[in-house]
Amino acid sequence: MNKNSNLSILLKGLLLENPVFVLILGTCPTLATSTTVIGAIGMGLAATAVLICSNVVISLLRNVIPSSARIPCYIVIIAGFVTIVQMFIHAYLPALYDMLGVYLALITVNCIILGRAEMFAGKNTVGKSALDGVGMGLGFTLALLMMATVREVFGAGSFAGIEIPFISNYKIEILTKAPGGFMVYGMMIALVYKLTHGKAPKKSEFSCADCPSAAFCGKTSCTAEKGEEK
Amino acid sequence: MKSQIKTVVSLTVICAVVAVLLAVTNYITAPIIKKNEAAQVNGALSVVLPSGEGFEAVDISKYELPETITEVYSEKNGGYVFKMLTSGYGSDFVLMCGIDANGAVVGATCISSNETLGAEKEYGKTLVGATGETIDGVATVSGATRTTDAYKNAVRDALNAKIILGGGSVDLRDETQILADNLNAALPAGEGKFTPVFITEILEGVQEVYKAENGAGYVLKSGENFIATAADGTVVSDVADDVKTAMSDNAKKLISSKLTQIDISGYADMPTQIEEAYKTDSGNYVFHLKAAGFGINGDAWYNPSGEYIKIKVSATKDGKIIACETVSQKETDGIGSACADKKFYSQFNGKEQTNYKEIDAISGATVTTNGYKTAISKVFDAINILKGVS
Repeated sequence: MNKNSNLSILLKGLLLENPVFVLILGTCPTLATSTTVIGAIGMGLAATAVLICSNVVISLLRNVIPSSARIPCYIVIIAGFVTIVQMFIHAYLPALYDMLGVYLALITVNCIILGRAEMFAGKNTVGKSALDGVGMGLGFTLALLMMATVREVFGAGSFAGIEIPFISNYKIEILTKAPGGFMVYGMMIALVYKLTHGKAPKKSEFSCADCPSAAFCGKTSCTAEKGEEK
Repeated sequence: MKSQIKTVVSLTVICAVVAVLLAVTNYITAPIIKKNEAAQVNGALSVVLPSGEGFEAVDISKYELPETITEVYSEKNGGYVFKMLTSGYGSDFVLMCGIDANGAVVGATCISSNETLGAEKEYGKTLVGATGETIDGVATVSGATRTTDAYKNAVRDALNAKIILGGGSVDLRDETQILADNLNAALPAGEGKFTPVFITEILEGVQEVYKAENGAGYVLKSGENFIATAADGTVVSDVADDVKTAMSDNAKKLISSKLTQIDISGYADMPTQIEEAYKTDSGNYVFHLKAAGFGINGDAWYNPSGEYIKIKVSATKDGKIIACETVSQKETDGIGSACADKKFYSQFNGKEQTNYKEIDAISGATVTTNGYKTAISKVFDAINILKGVS
């Protein structure tokens, strides 16, 4: 598959470049909101909405935003969309609003969104950026859903709030707590690595062109010695 | 320079556009959010007052209600629902409480809170059925005294507010205010500034003594009465002659009481809790004690202060405590710190070696209470040592 085809841009977020399990971004909301399936889906879709909108707008403005002030501009745009999404959820889905609490507002500082703005939307066309937003957002949602399924089913003995007979008598309560979150997270990363047979991009394969730190890093690739000529 | 201007302009424009978008969104969503919250309040109304019908918001600006009451709803059958904002251990929390036409609590629930122990989630149930007369008897939750105290006080405010709304009147003054008012009424010459006097003599029928800071005289609390005297101890309040004589004697006895310090370094087996000892002319003793409470013996996990509780005790030579007072303490705030409350330490007044343990412990502060009791027990040992009895 061509690396830059639209389909591959859309699909890479789901598994090969899954933001949570492969890029290890957005860890904080992942651990915090993956205790219940409903919360995970709500959080994932809210973040997806923000991600698509911010990717599109940032891509549209990529030639207007001066590079020296791009981070503040990105943050203002992202925070604006997050607040809009937050207001709509507060108005139309108050139960979800209460469930997500402060993590909804914290989408603003979710690394996935700023990361995609910086690594992708700031350098690609609107269409591709929108596809990247959809793919990464769904990848985030999928990751949250997988973690939440394990944590809610085995930790709380229910799925989406519906009690599961038998399992609910043998809850592993630690899974609903922070340590359980880390355990499930680690196992999921291992599983995804196994599934992709190591095809996921390794650290050394990230090109410096996409790297926000390239300017002051001074290396030609992540595995190269510092000072090598580019 | 050009690029700097571009930076400023683009950031300003982006911020302005985002602000406009937010304003539009807020314009659309704010009324819906408000409607949802009102529906939530209505739901809560029928939870705390299930029998209520046709709730209506009451305009509380017309009444002088306790400050904790933020919203009031009336209903057809004469009941009321109160929304209260109070502060517990962590921060502010919001309660709702339904009171029926007879003035009894029907339901109480916590709407939002940020307390550490979560005791407020269930505490409302224990208050069901309480009235203005019985609410003081409802126990607080051990270990979460401050949270549950705040809860109880807020519900008491609601009970009072119900009376005010019904056209009655309620004494909304707290204990400190009542005391200050009583002292001022008894001795107006004191100009409202009084300090408690540590009682070192047996005073018949007197529980507390206050001194006017400007030297105008003293006020003796005898039962429910406040009797004022001049600086020399002559009673100035208008009371029966026998009371006048008795109170005058009491006041003069206290005014003339002189303390002489005893050098305790000469007594090898003097308990270490005794820091200073004094003797009055009439043969009573006054001790300055240090008690190892939670600050010394506390679980290191909870970061004890490392400070002793300092206590002052006066006692007769026969070993009967006249007065006891906590001078300073650094016990856990909100728990062991209750040892500085008059309610706690005045329990030792009149106690002897045989019955000093019969006091109400501080809820949730066993280490503090035990340390305090141990220190008090040393008073009796010290008296025996000073008298030469071993």
